[in-house]
Amino acid sequence: MMTFIPPRLRKPAVYVLAGLLFAAAWLVQGGHLWFVSIMAVIGTAAGAVRLYRLGGTDTDEGARAGSRTDERQQLVSLRSRALACNLAAATSFLGLTAAIAVKAAWGWPFLVTFLITGYGYLLGLGNYGVAEEGTPDDEDAGSQTRPSVSS
Amino acid sequence: MNEGRGGLRASDADRERAVEVLKAAFVQDRLAKAEFEAHVGRALASRTYAELAAVTAGIAAPLSTVQPPATPSQMAEQRTIRKISQAELAEALGVSRQTVILIENGRYMPSLPLAFTIARFFGLTVDGMFG
Repeated sequence: MMTFIPPRLRKPAVYVLAGLLFAAAWLVQGGHLWFVSIMAVIGTAAGAVRLYRLGGTDTDEGARAGSRTDERQQLVSLRSRALACNLAAATSFLGLTAAIAVKAAWGWPFLVTFLITGYGYLLGLGNYGVAEEGTPDDEDAGSQTRPSVSS
Repeated sequence: MNEGRGGLRASDADRERAVEVLKAAFVQDRLAKAEFEAHVGRALASRTYAELAAVTAGIAAPLSTVQPPATPSQMAEQRTIRKISQAELAEALGVSRQTVILIENGRYMPSLPLAFTIARFFGLTVDGMFG
């Protein structure tokens, strides 16, 4: 679906979608805080415009905002995401450990986060880490064959 | 767009290097006098690297040896020699201008595919470019 959206509009579009969902959540909640949804819509609009303008600049940030990153910029984004995931996993583990220690009931969000990050890591290994094995030539196949154990 | 450096304009220095290659071939009896004169004429009349490469083809090593040798900041040097701006090079390589700057400053080592693209663009080997 993203390929149909011009690159420069992709990030703002995702931003708008997330902002509207957030605003809708406040609206659905009702109560005396309904006006937060209006503030969320205004904030989302402003943020999306800022993101769109940033996407037109000739900087690394602009390339990311405009969805036109090259290999180096993608690598930086990838490392940043990996760091964020590591921090999330470590923090959730610490939170879960603390919740267990004090027998608190608020430990389950940490457990869920920890499980999701752990499962995400395994999912990543499954998707990207296992390369299809090629056929070894005769010499290599011979060297990799484990000698049979005679009883 | 990326037709390599063959379509780029050759400088006087490039034509002189090609002539030097032809001279060396003539001295080593790899070219007859008539051939040598004809080749020199063609070399001096060459406007692009592709034309220069055609003149020296089959006589000596590829034109890359006629090129100025690659040095530590090869990319910046090669770009300067060819009078290409960082933005133009970035566009030709399909990367950002910032990436070109970082590669030239030695602060980013490109991936193998990009290294090959850069080397092809300048008509050099990857080893000569980044080695």
